[in-house]
Amino acid sequence: MMESSDELLSKAWTVISEQLKPSASQNEDQLNRKEFCEAWQTLEANNLDYIVEEWFIETLQQDLRHRIGPLFWNFFKELENQTENSAYIQKFVESVNYLYEITREYRSCINLLESVSPLGETATSKNISSLIITFYKAIIFYTYPETFLTSVGKYYSEAFRVFHHINTESHDSGEEKSPLCDGCQIDVSTCTCQEIMETFHSVNKKLDDIGVLEKVSGAAVTSIVHSQIESYINTNCKGNFETSYFEHLEKWLDTKVLGWLNSIYAGEKSHNSISAFRGRLLHFLFETYANARIEQLFMIVIDYPESEPAILDLKTCLEKTNLRSQLMSSLRKALEDRLLHPGVNTTVILSAYISAIRSLRVLDPAGVILEFVSEPVRKYLRSREDTVRCIVLCLTEEGSNELLDELWKGQPLVLEDDTCSDEDEGDWETWMPDPVDADPSTTSKSRRASDIISMLVNIYGSKELFVNEYRTLLTDRILNQFNCDMDRELRYLEMLKLRFGESQLHYCEVMLKDVADSKRINSRIVQEMALVEQKMDIDINALILSAHFWPPLREEKITLPKEMQKSLEEYTKKFEALKGNRTLNWKPHLGMMKIEIEHNGTNLSFSVSPVHAAIIMQFQNKARWDVEELSGVLQMSVSALRRKITYWQTQGLLKEEVPDTFVLVDEVKGQGHEVVMVEDESESAMASAQQQREEELQVFWTYIVGMLTNLESLPLERIHTMLRMFAMQGPSTGEVSLPELKGFLDRKIREQKLVYYSGVYRLAK
Amino acid sequence: MASQNQNPTVETQSQKEMTDAPPVQQDSHSVSKRLQQELMKLMTSGDPGISAFPDGDNLFNWIATIEGGAGTVYEGLKYKLTFEFPSGYPYQAPTVKFDSPCYHPNVDGSGNICLDILKDKWSALYDIRTVLLSIQSLLAEPNIDSPLNVHAAQLWENPAAYKIYLLEKYDKEVKSKQS
Repeated sequence: MMESSDELLSKAWTVISEQLKPSASQNEDQLNRKEFCEAWQTLEANNLDYIVEEWFIETLQQDLRHRIGPLFWNFFKELENQTENSAYIQKFVESVNYLYEITREYRSCINLLESVSPLGETATSKNISSLIITFYKAIIFYTYPETFLTSVGKYYSEAFRVFHHINTESHDSGEEKSPLCDGCQIDVSTCTCQEIMETFHSVNKKLDDIGVLEKVSGAAVTSIVHSQIESYINTNCKGNFETSYFEHLEKWLDTKVLGWLNSIYAGEKSHNSISAFRGRLLHFLFETYANARIEQLFMIVIDYPESEPAILDLKTCLEKTNLRSQLMSSLRKALEDRLLHPGVNTTVILSAYISAIRSLRVLDPAGVILEFVSEPVRKYLRSREDTVRCIVLCLTEEGSNELLDELWKGQPLVLEDDTCSDEDEGDWETWMPDPVDADPSTTSKSRRASDIISMLVNIYGSKELFVNEYRTLLTDRILNQFNCDMDRELRYLEMLKLRFGESQLHYCEVMLKDVADSKRINSRIVQEMALVEQKMDIDINALILSAHFWPPLREEKITLPKEMQKSLEEYTKKFEALKGNRTLNWKPHLGMMKIEIEHNGTNLSFSVSPVHAAIIMQFQNKARWDVEELSGVLQMSVSALRRKITYWQTQGLLKEEVPDTFVLVDEVKGQGHEVVMVEDESESAMASAQQQREEELQVFWTYIVGMLTNLESLPLERIHTMLRMFAMQGPSTGEVSLPELKGFLDRKIREQKLVYYSGVYRLAK
Repeated sequence: MASQNQNPTVETQSQKEMTDAPPVQQDSHSVSKRLQQELMKLMTSGDPGISAFPDGDNLFNWIATIEGGAGTVYEGLKYKLTFEFPSGYPYQAPTVKFDSPCYHPNVDGSGNICLDILKDKWSALYDIRTVLLSIQSLLAEPNIDSPLNVHAAQLWENPAAYKIYLLEKYDKEVKSKQS
């Protein structure tokens, strides 16, 4: 009895183990099944059924490890030195087929086991099915050889190409002339796209059946999709800033990319993962797009306002991605690299800055990006000498430019230090807090101010500089051109007044009024002369400037010939008669004279400065002059005289016969036409900046003397702080930096006005 | 005169009260502004022989230098003075004292000066410059009738002896300290 039961058991075991071998279970299903069931019952009767499951799992593991795994990887072993794409693809398909077969065999065993096992209906069976997937992942796919990954990658990229090709064929097949099919890269006539697609679908389905679809394809698919997105954005969106790609990209993602993903994961049980995937891809899309845009942001900024769509796209992207800080640092760097070096004209930097202001306002209305990005630009512009001049020139230029348009808007200037109460912010419903990266030390209002002229003026932080520069330019225009369009100047002045305020431009107003008054006084004096039938030797048309309101004018010493001096004096007399207690202080070197020279029978006309005229007049009486002698008569320095004489030399009227002696040339080759004098070195009518600076420093000097008289001795820093406290308060005084002050004091030491001893300065006794 | 000493920004009950206890409630900002202006005026006017400058960061304490006027016994002598401005300036007079010892009929041993415009004749129209000029002229023309330094007042009658004594004192007390 005992024996028979043993026998029975071992027989039942043989049946079961035979049946559960993957290769054996295919044929005569019904019969085997019955036999299997009987054997199972035998075992069950002896309470041995639990061994079966354990044994099966153990065998499966062994089989996977020793037989199936190596066989599966064998497909890829031969690929080590392959270069042909098709080989990779073929091997991949074969390997998938192989694995699918194996799985199918095991599936039937599992099915058999499940059908008899009482536990099979509940937890265990599920475990066995999922166990096998776990085993695959753990035993076979625990590591990938390089070739496998390449195979997968190549296979899926080909599939994507084909898929893309098939889906777009309808659009542009008419234009395609290439003999190769875009999808499969084979001659169009023998295009295998459809077949490829079919195998592709079946491979995916098989992998899905096995349960390793995502495991195998996930990484490859993601990277393909990513690279596709990148290349799509690069080829389509780069360089074109004038269209918005936003909707287009989203549509492309939905139709093409997600369509493809759907076709891969069509059989997947967890189908809803695609929608989650879509979110991730969309984010990636935005990020890539934003990155592409950020890379070219400099160009986009320069192209504004044509590039507005790109800016708006970027704005949307920024809301969805986390690239803000990257954008800020990259644009800042781009600006620094491309603008802020000596090779770039100030006007170019300025126009770039203006574009940046305008475009970044759109991108970030709070102005934080602009503030950060433009900081080095502002700093750099401050260091350029001609910045103010450029801005003012832009403002007063003929024709129209951005700045002029801004000026015509006529808003009052908003300066950074203007403190506004919160109350007048008014629109509380639309109020937005500042972004987190905003600099808390500045007010949000100043950042939000969108006025470009204010921004430019804020480079320096003071209106005075601009007004002064405007005054300088205006002086130049009036004094150097002699005839300037007064109506136009007045119009500008009115506009500037709206911006900078009445008080700031008061001086300029007086200047323009001076010009108008001069005209009137001139005609009045001429009339009076005519009335008494008196005639001046030289007609004078004076420009009468109110000394206090004009910038310091260039000084030049000269004594005019008697004829000229007499006329001027007469004019002065008339003026004094007309204007009561005022008089005239002539600046002959700034004027212009029309002279006619009759020399050896030819008449020559020139328009020259009175200085030139005075020189040539000296040759009226005496044809040969020594430089020293001439400079004595004219009371001007030899070097200045030489400079002026050069003009007459070039005109062929004078020549330097022997060094330092000039004579009148006898026969003049020049024709008797009018020659308009162009001053050789375009001298400004005003005192140079350096001279003005010198005067400013002189003001400080009086303070320093006062300080040192009373406080005996002071170190440099102390003098500087004292000056800042007491002397740099008034509106007319400028700043002085510590190094400049040191240079100034050192100069005073050399002039023996100061003594420097053991770290302190004191007055020389 | 007294009405000029009244701070228009401060309401006062009566004239009497004002002279007894002048209201010193004064916006210190406007005082600094005024002092600042005075400094600028002083620096740009360039009067010979007088000079003053705030002592350090405090605009309310100044140090001044006066040189004796040319042609007087004090010619070539330099004296330091201290100015202390009350917060009611310029409606109240500054406290002015000689810092360097000064031998003079109207200056006592601790540097106090007997000058009417610094006391009851003070007016808001005066400023540092006028005070300094007054003191400079006081050096040459002392008020013998109300002396603080009786010795000097008596000696003043004899200019030659006065000058010798003055220079001797100056060399001993002032010059030795300066160098």
